[in-house]
Amino acid sequence: MANNKIEDLRKRREKITLGGGAKRIEKQHQSGKLTARERMNLLFDEGTFVELDAFVTHRCVNFGMDKMEAPGEGVVTGYGMVDGRLVYAFAQDFTVVGGSLGEMHAAKICKVLDNALKVGAPVVGLNDSGGARIQEAVDALSGYGKIFYRNTIASGVIPQISAIMGPCAGGAVYSPALTDFIYMVDKTSQMFITGPQVIKTVTGEEVSAEDLGGAMTHNTTSGVAHFVASNDEDCIAQIRRLLSFLPSNNMETAPLFDTEDDVNRLAPELDDLLPDNPNKPYDMFEVISRIVDDGDYYEVQPYYAKNIITCFARINGQSVGIIANQPKVLAGCLDINASDKAGRFIRTCDAFNIPLLNIVDVPGFLPGTNQEYGGIIRHGAKMLYAYSEATVPKVTLIVRKAYGGSYLAMCSKDLGADIVLAWPQAEIAVMGPQGAANIIFKDDIAKAADPAAERAKKVQEYTDEFATPYKAAERGFVDDVIEPNATRPRLADAFNMLASKRESRPAKKHGNLPV
Amino acid sequence: MKKFNITVNGNTYEVEVEEIGGVSAPAPVARPAAAPATPKAAAPAAKPAAPKAAPKAAPAGGNSVTAPMPGTILDIKVKEGDTVKSGDVLVILEAMKMENEIMAPGDGKVVSVNATKGASVNAGDVLIVLG
Repeated sequence: MANNKIEDLRKRREKITLGGGAKRIEKQHQSGKLTARERMNLLFDEGTFVELDAFVTHRCVNFGMDKMEAPGEGVVTGYGMVDGRLVYAFAQDFTVVGGSLGEMHAAKICKVLDNALKVGAPVVGLNDSGGARIQEAVDALSGYGKIFYRNTIASGVIPQISAIMGPCAGGAVYSPALTDFIYMVDKTSQMFITGPQVIKTVTGEEVSAEDLGGAMTHNTTSGVAHFVASNDEDCIAQIRRLLSFLPSNNMETAPLFDTEDDVNRLAPELDDLLPDNPNKPYDMFEVISRIVDDGDYYEVQPYYAKNIITCFARINGQSVGIIANQPKVLAGCLDINASDKAGRFIRTCDAFNIPLLNIVDVPGFLPGTNQEYGGIIRHGAKMLYAYSEATVPKVTLIVRKAYGGSYLAMCSKDLGADIVLAWPQAEIAVMGPQGAANIIFKDDIAKAADPAAERAKKVQEYTDEFATPYKAAERGFVDDVIEPNATRPRLADAFNMLASKRESRPAKKHGNLPV
Repeated sequence: MKKFNITVNGNTYEVEVEEIGGVSAPAPVARPAAAPATPKAAAPAAKPAAPKAAPKAAPAGGNSVTAPMPGTILDIKVKEGDTVKSGDVLVILEAMKMENEIMAPGDGKVVSVNATKGASVNAGDVLIVLG
């Protein structure tokens, strides 16, 4: 008798495990995608995935839904281990009613979010859904709303990572948008609020789904996505890598990793890395890769606003978030997109106790009407806000230019940098020598017999006097001027010294970040 | 010279229409809207019909490389007909105290060089067209 019941259980489970059936699984594979269960098994350490709510079914009777079976309700949920650490996850199952989201589908996701929040574990959401289950009407909408609410409540408490591994349209896009990171799989994923057909009817524009909301669109143009993956396997491998840089929740610190890379390693190449002419660009990654453990870093938003670099790396085994100007792109200027990208990254790091390393070579904010009309003032303010607000250890390294407002925006001493180090080539000033000399010595130059020669003389005078790190060091805005080759040991030491940093802010409901 | 009497809202206007040159006459491209003698068409503005769109604009289908920010062209590294690879430096644009290397976004052939050395450009100006 008992055996019959066990047999029955096994049969039930087997059916659910098969999702939408062999045919649909085949179709999923043909379109270059893995099934929800395959994705879960890849995400978690082998044999650690524990499924929840497999037996949940919908209770919709509208439009023939009473006869519609949806094994697992179109979403696989549960928890497991990633590199030995607890992680919650859900994966929408496109083979079951197109992964459409109804009341109970949403309830399963909500349970995952609730549990993850309770135990303080990251949540990974693997999205592959046709959208709301229209038959369920307002119940489906309510489902989305409940998820949005939980995403928001959990924001800044547990890391939330979303991967778009299929269609994600309409209201469905906002749950990923509320999470900390979005992955998109190239060619098989799309995100948009209104699809190509709606756009065509309403505005007459013709655009393909890929151009409108494909992985590269959101990684290059819109900045909605943070990472692009070549396929499902790559995507999940990258998520596992990202998790290694993050703590499980806002009360913990990121895991420490042993490294063979000596913290006291000197990098003599850094002494000659900067071009003699301060007007020549170079690749900032050359600096980053020589400072961090094993030259290994993981870039966030590598294709968006490339004039600023945001990446995770480790120094002495400890996770750090690096924000660095990239002189190779747009002269390394700060602009609207760069400010948004950096502001977001700084806040993500601060929320999860990841120390910040700011590497500065910035000539200023990008001039232009489209920048001003686009609101560079309020966008740039996000960087100032995010840096000032952050209470994690903040270390700033000024390698070359640090001019005017952009010097402040890259976390100067006054925005709360705990340690500011500068290379001897650093130029910390209100503006570049050319512009400054033209203003300060305007009369001298005009009156001179040879204005051009006089200007050159004054520019040189200004350069020698002010385009150095020493004026700032005299006031204590720079803690020390260091030899470039010793950058790694000095940074490692600074972070080590700051490990016990505690800083509190006045109690408030929440600040008012300029958005 | 042809004379027309045209009545608009009860007012009659005498309109003279002159045909200019025989060459531009074959303008059967006349917009369909012109046919019914609406007041607009009657207006003495007998313009030589819409000219063809300026053909000088960037050749269609090309991959144009634009200035990412306002600045001065310091150097042009390629000439028409050159073959370039993705990442090759096309133009040096001095802006924000930096000699910015403007690179080819993809492999291709230089169809036209629209920038000149020493010229000031604005963000969005086409510098090079790749085919």
